[in-house]
Order: sequence, then structure tokens, then C-alpha cells
Amino acid sequence: MSHDMIMGLVTGIVFGVLLQRAGVIRYDKQLAALRLRDMTILKFMLSTICVAMIGTYLLVDLGMAKLSIKPTILGGVVIGGALFGVGWAIFGYCPGTAMGALGEGRLDTVFGLAGMLVGAGIYAEIYPLMKNTVLTWGDYGKITIPQVLGVNHWIVIAVFVAGTLALFRWFEKKGL
Amino acid sequence: MADRKDQLWNPYVSGALAGLLSVASVAFAGKYLGASTTFVRAAGYVEKAFGPERVAQMAYFMKEAPKIDWQFMFVIGIFIGALAAALLSGTFSLRFVPDMWRGRFGPGIGKRGVAAFVGGIVAMIGARLADG
Repeated sequence: MSHDMIMGLVTGIVFGVLLQRAGVIRYDKQLAALRLRDMTILKFMLSTICVAMIGTYLLVDLGMAKLSIKPTILGGVVIGGALFGVGWAIFGYCPGTAMGALGEGRLDTVFGLAGMLVGAGIYAEIYPLMKNTVLTWGDYGKITIPQVLGVNHWIVIAVFVAGTLALFRWFEKKGL
Repeated sequence: MADRKDQLWNPYVSGALAGLLSVASVAFAGKYLGASTTFVRAAGYVEKAFGPERVAQMAYFMKEAPKIDWQFMFVIGIFIGALAAALLSGTFSLRFVPDMWRGRFGPGIGKRGVAAFVGGIVAMIGARLADG
């Protein structure tokens, strides 16, 4: 195994332990979030995003890392996001968590993982068509929010973290 | 059916630790966490077994070539990590139908299997379209 592959495996194992112990790979937790009944998933995700946002931009500012920015293509993001939401709600797991859920013995993921492989195969078939249609609709290229607003990234990060903390407070007050 | 030892870790703390893991991964391996490209690479592997010439000519499999890379091992790691954590914490249990699904749609494995399969197809097409 290459160095890259070992790093990937180790990172995955730690991530898998965190996902399993926090209970966020459970179908019931994922669906409860979509039904606005239990916000465990959002608490986990938003905590991850806030910490990763601060840490990653620190690395970038120190010249120790480069951002990996995906292009903002409204056609792909809006249509793809909506499809993902529908599929996620029906399956009850996302690609990464499905592997974790299989690890804790949830065998329904086998059907969904097979479906995801088929879905990837279908996408490979329709990719040339998508590239000439949906993926040309509203293509803004590789942009970031600080760049579009013309402000320093730490201002955006501070506002995002403050908003997240306010949301967390509200979740706890409502017992979600 | 509740888990026997249902002592879950705090979601804020676990999530923050996952955030630190992501930062460490970027710092030490130069890799951002992600999973869904691996499904394309894996699908490419399966299709290669049936028609290698065709796979070699498909634009999407040229972009995301079937290979075992950092992310492929990351996805396998998630399985291993969750399996180990479930076994060590006594929360491992084999089951086909999630509790919430059973309460609404009954214990049938077939119905759940079809929904999971179809949901998986739709979710993956969406994820790929959104480049996520």
C-alpha cells in the first residue's frame, strides 16, 4: 500500500469510529433529522464544518494547504442536490455513512450500496449529455463566498460560526 | 427495539473531532474528506470486468479512473472503524429493517430492499451531478 492509501485507511477508521459512537450513521437518526424531530445529525455536521472551516483557513493563511474549490454550477447543484435529498430520504444513508452503517450490522445498506454503484454507472452513461446541458446552466466557475462578497474570509467564518452557535442554542432550548 | 448499551458520544464533541480529523488530513496528507467518487471508481471496476474497452472510452471513467486511491481506502476505513466501534461498545447487531422504517412500513425485507436500492440510485446520480 502506498503512503496515500495508508493515510486514507487510518483517516477512514477514525472517522468511522466517530460516526458510529455518535450514532449518526443510524437510519433512524438520519430520518429523524429530515423529519425535524432530532437534530443530532445537524449538530455533528455543523460542528465538523465550523472546526474544519477555521482549521483549513488557518492552514491556507499559513501557506500550508490549498483550497480545493468545486465549480459553482447552479444546474448541477440545484438539480443534483434535490435528487440527492430525495434519494437520501428513501435510502436513509449517504454514501459514506452507508459503509459505516454496514459496519454496525445494518444489512439494508447492502441494497442501497448496490443501488449507489448502479447510480454511479448510470451517471457515467449520461455524463456526456449532462456536460452539454445541465452542467452548463449557471456556471459561475470556482468561486467562494468571501470572494463574491469582497470581504476577508474570517468575517464570513465568524458570521457562520455565530449563526451555528445560535442555532445550537435553539436546538437545545427546543430539546431537538 | 433499543440498543442494549445506547450510550452515545456527544454529537458536538464528536463532530468537532471529525472537523479536527479533516484539518489533520488536509495538513498531513493534502486530502479533503469525501466518499462518493469512490462509488464511480468501484462501478468502473465492475464494468471493466465485463467490457474493458468500453470503460476505457467513457469520458466519466477517464475523468475518474477505476483505481484504489486515498479515498477508496478512506471509505473502506469507515467500514472498519464503525465495525470495531460497534463490536467494542456492544452495539453491533445484524438487522435488515431499521426501527423507524418498520414502524411505518412493516418488517418486510423485500420492500425495504427495493426502497434502499432505488434510493441509492437516485442519491448517487444527484451527488455526482452536484459534484459532491
